[in-house]
Amino acid sequence: MSEKYDAIIIGAGVIGAPIAYEMAKMGYKTLNVDKLPDAGEGSTAGSCAIVRAHYSTADGVAMAYEGFKYWLDWENYLDNVEDEKGLAKYMNTGSILLKSQGHDWKKVQANYDEVGVDYEEWDNDKIKKAVPVADLHEFWPVRRPEDPKFYDEPTKALGGGIFCPEAGYVNDPALSAHNIMRAAEAKGSKFIFNAEVVDVRSENNKITGITLKDGTKIDAGIVVNVGGPHSFQINKMAEGVWEGCNIKTKALRHEVMYCPSPDEYDYINDGYHMSDGDIGCYVRPEVGNLFLIGSEDPDCDPQEWVDPDEFYAGKGGHGRDNVLSEEQWKAQCYRLGKRIPSLAVPNQPKGVVDLYDCSDDWIPVYDKSDLPGFYMAIGTSGNQYKNAPVVGRMMAELIDACEKGLDHDNEPMQYKYKFIDRTMNVGFFSRKREINYNSSFSVNG
Amino acid sequence: MKIFVCVKHVPDTAASIKLAGETGFDDSEIKFIASPYDEYGIEEAVSLVEKNDGEVVIVTVGKDNAVSTIRSAMAMGAHRAILVKIDSQFLDSSLTAKALKAAIEQDGAGDLIFTGKGSVDTESFQTQYRLAELLEMPVVNEVSSLSIDDGKAVVEREIGGGEKQVIEMNLPCIIGADRGLNEPRYPKFPDIMKAKKKKIHEIEFSSLELDESKSMVEIEKLELVPERSGAKMIEGSVNDQADQLVKILKQDEKVL
Repeated sequence: MSEKYDAIIIGAGVIGAPIAYEMAKMGYKTLNVDKLPDAGEGSTAGSCAIVRAHYSTADGVAMAYEGFKYWLDWENYLDNVEDEKGLAKYMNTGSILLKSQGHDWKKVQANYDEVGVDYEEWDNDKIKKAVPVADLHEFWPVRRPEDPKFYDEPTKALGGGIFCPEAGYVNDPALSAHNIMRAAEAKGSKFIFNAEVVDVRSENNKITGITLKDGTKIDAGIVVNVGGPHSFQINKMAEGVWEGCNIKTKALRHEVMYCPSPDEYDYINDGYHMSDGDIGCYVRPEVGNLFLIGSEDPDCDPQEWVDPDEFYAGKGGHGRDNVLSEEQWKAQCYRLGKRIPSLAVPNQPKGVVDLYDCSDDWIPVYDKSDLPGFYMAIGTSGNQYKNAPVVGRMMAELIDACEKGLDHDNEPMQYKYKFIDRTMNVGFFSRKREINYNSSFSVNG
Repeated sequence: MKIFVCVKHVPDTAASIKLAGETGFDDSEIKFIASPYDEYGIEEAVSLVEKNDGEVVIVTVGKDNAVSTIRSAMAMGAHRAILVKIDSQFLDSSLTAKALKAAIEQDGAGDLIFTGKGSVDTESFQTQYRLAELLEMPVVNEVSSLSIDDGKAVVEREIGGGEKQVIEMNLPCIIGADRGLNEPRYPKFPDIMKAKKKKIHEIEFSSLELDESKSMVEIEKLELVPERSGAKMIEGSVNDQADQLVKILKQDEKVL
């Protein structure tokens, strides 16, 4: 390849594409390389694409709330670019966070107040009116169906919830990444596909480029790792980068299930996103009037760390390929079956299995590295889809500042949000941080 | 009405099967389901009983773990079940029919017996006929419509070319259910809970004194379907593409 680039971005998912877009707007000549055939085809495609603001830290809430503003004004964010595949749609359903022992909802409410998130407090009657099929008994603690206590009759009722009207989900996550790619291309970015990176090259402690599997060498002074579940492999290719990270990433297998909505409930049109820590599930509507059932990673559930290459090749046995497992299917569907007793639970499982690029503390690493010119936006841990456009801008500014001499490790960049009046200490996402024990250590971040 | 439904516990067609030895497969970690055609039988039996009263009894010949499939049939509304327990993964249609007959006769005669039109694992499509022969009952397979009136069953079956055959039979009879007969219901969580408490009567296959050596089918070897090799894209004008294709078929694949 004879062309020269300022920056190579490894990965063209929903985080890789906006980094290219924002860097291109700043004048960088970027190239995204992705081993798959098109943008967003990797773990982005398997994302539930939920856009909600409840996080356990004010910074988490602020970043997500900033993200809302991009999703709510998608065409403008894309600078009204045309995409032959059409545009992804933001389904602004609103989100109900049930007040339960499974969520530190008091902290969430305080964070909402601090950041200025628009929300309402709903009592059980209000929730029942919005979601008539719900049984609002308390089922805590979360258990597995193998546990006889799973079937105990509940005695107490839940205490209402917090409703956030601007939240929702994106109907087609892969398409959203594709949209951002088209927007980036309109600003001069280039994307190549079916291109697997096998080496990240450096000389004299400075990044020089990458080598693809077919032997092609592409040079650039900046390389950004946005490899999703493959991120740890990319970090290991770059000299000293893996060793220089205190926070590591690895691939975690995760399942979501589909169950048909009760006949009398038009979930796809009338439904909400709901986070239900009481049963360790979150749900959103899916085409076909289905409930999409995700897991909030309760402590009783096993975690299955897998090799991403083996996983995507469909190799390996139980828990290591992309077929739903019987136990987890049961666990998630039966849990939701308690909340929604008229939920249909088919005998034949349907759902999606994909990987989280999970960090040690389930908080991402948005940072430079010990190798000058090498950056990373990794460890998204299943909870960063909603933040993708924000991360794109923040990473572009971080890279630009570091390239212009900022000593980010010692004087962390303060990122000024575009829509809400707040700054983010980007050092929070440092690779050098100690494990953040304030994290939920779950998809909740 | 008392209705028996013969249900087979089969690997999910989406399961990735791993062979174990020459004639078996590893069944410890894959998902099993009720053979999908049997589900049409379960649904039909349950809705008949909902209208006319009575009970639906599931009869399964299978290994211990077939209980999970029986429970899912019970969650659809079946009342109780009989499991004839075997150790082997494969029992031929002849012995299966004999075991089903013994289980049904021990339980006491019914008005109707459903099977699926065939199982999706071994696809022998014989058990219902063999069972009918043993029980001396009429049988029709691939039934897509059923009505029961005055001790008679009137069934329809597709015979190709868009034509349907209509057959009237006296009860009791055996009906092999096909797609179109109904839309099997999805259980709800409270149904699944209820199903856990329903009774499964277990019978050891050995207690039926059927001679296993009389199996009419022996599996010599199981093999996985070979993986398809990667597709090759042929580019160029239509004429070029045709030339290249002929060349590949003649020289590389040697099929012409």
